[in-house]
Amino acid sequence: MPRQQNEVRDLDEGSYVMIDDTPCEINSYSTAKPGKHGSAKARVEAEGVFDGKKRSLSQPVDAKVWVPIIDRKQGQVVSVTGDDAQVMDLETYDTFTMRIPEGEDLSPDDEIEYLEYEEQRKIV
Amino acid sequence: MFPGASADPASAEYVVVGAPLDASTTFQPGARFGPRRVRHFAESFDDYDQHTEQRFTDLAVADHGDVGPTDDVAEYLTFLRGTLADHADEGRVPLLVGGEHTVTVAGVRALDPDVFVCLDAHLDLRESYAGNPLSHATVAHHALDVADRAVILGARTGSEAEWERAGADDVTVVPPDEVADWDPDFDGDAYLSVDIDAADPGYAPGTGTMEPFGLDPATMHDAVRAVAPRAVGFDVVEVNDRDDGQAAVLAAKLLRAFVYAHAAGCIAGCGAHADG
Repeated sequence: MPRQQNEVRDLDEGSYVMIDDTPCEINSYSTAKPGKHGSAKARVEAEGVFDGKKRSLSQPVDAKVWVPIIDRKQGQVVSVTGDDAQVMDLETYDTFTMRIPEGEDLSPDDEIEYLEYEEQRKIV
Repeated sequence: MFPGASADPASAEYVVVGAPLDASTTFQPGARFGPRRVRHFAESFDDYDQHTEQRFTDLAVADHGDVGPTDDVAEYLTFLRGTLADHADEGRVPLLVGGEHTVTVAGVRALDPDVFVCLDAHLDLRESYAGNPLSHATVAHHALDVADRAVILGARTGSEAEWERAGADDVTVVPPDEVADWDPDFDGDAYLSVDIDAADPGYAPGTGTMEPFGLDPATMHDAVRAVAPRAVGFDVVEVNDRDDGQAAVLAAKLLRAFVYAHAAGCIAGCGAHADG
């Protein structure tokens, strides 16, 4: 599992965190204090990196959470079929099919960046 | 715990959330004690409501406890908004207890109502006050970033610029002597905010910024009950500890009146736990 354990306090907007076993990108990080002698509580609102679903967690700032290690890789478009592109990784030469993000216009030979985490990939 | 709010949060229809923010109070501080006072002075109420023939303890009200503020008010409002939105997403109507009026901004952002209805002595339409854009005097201004309309009941004071802003089409101000005859004549759903200083200081002296010539409690009671069936959320704010409980007991009673009227007026299917 490419992931590491961090404390909630180390999270920040724009960084990644696992919520419900799903890698998510953090949109908002805020804290509240539960009481004079308790540890502050943090609230993280995030969006699934690969499924786009909104998720949130609310935990003490010293609680441990998993942070996914998401690779950013280079690829080249081999072919385009409808909403899907066949992409070849420029390091390993593996090829695979990925959904083209809405509003993106890709053609064969275009070089792209994509995120990869445990067989899940997404063009950025 | 708010008396009678003994439901399990997971299956509740309503949830009391304390928000003891006391950061921008401009005159008499103590709003941080509001949630504690409101809970305490609700202890003497009967469970049964003769107007709607319901028992409070049958209405699935839970108490989330307080969400403690940090020094960073903007961040605190984000946290509070998220907490309230979570409850709303799970079918619970939030009942926010302030704290200073600024906490309402979190409630409105969480619930995204069509109309912001507010009982308040003040217009609260300032863009900032004393250099603070999150002052308690800016609440209606922020609410209008989310809601299409604001209806301010019982307002009787404001700056010249606020009265000018109040003249726009998206703001309706109902003066104190007209509130008794006011009907909720708006389209869509509402967020109802009760600043306890809408009441005349003779009835609710325990508040940060008293303003004479205000509403009597019965008029506030009727207004809350009229809006409640169309409301997606409720708050009562600006209660402090500088009286013998008058402000807190009125706030607590209005919160309960909201729940009774909302539950009675709720058509089937407006709660996620209709079978609960």
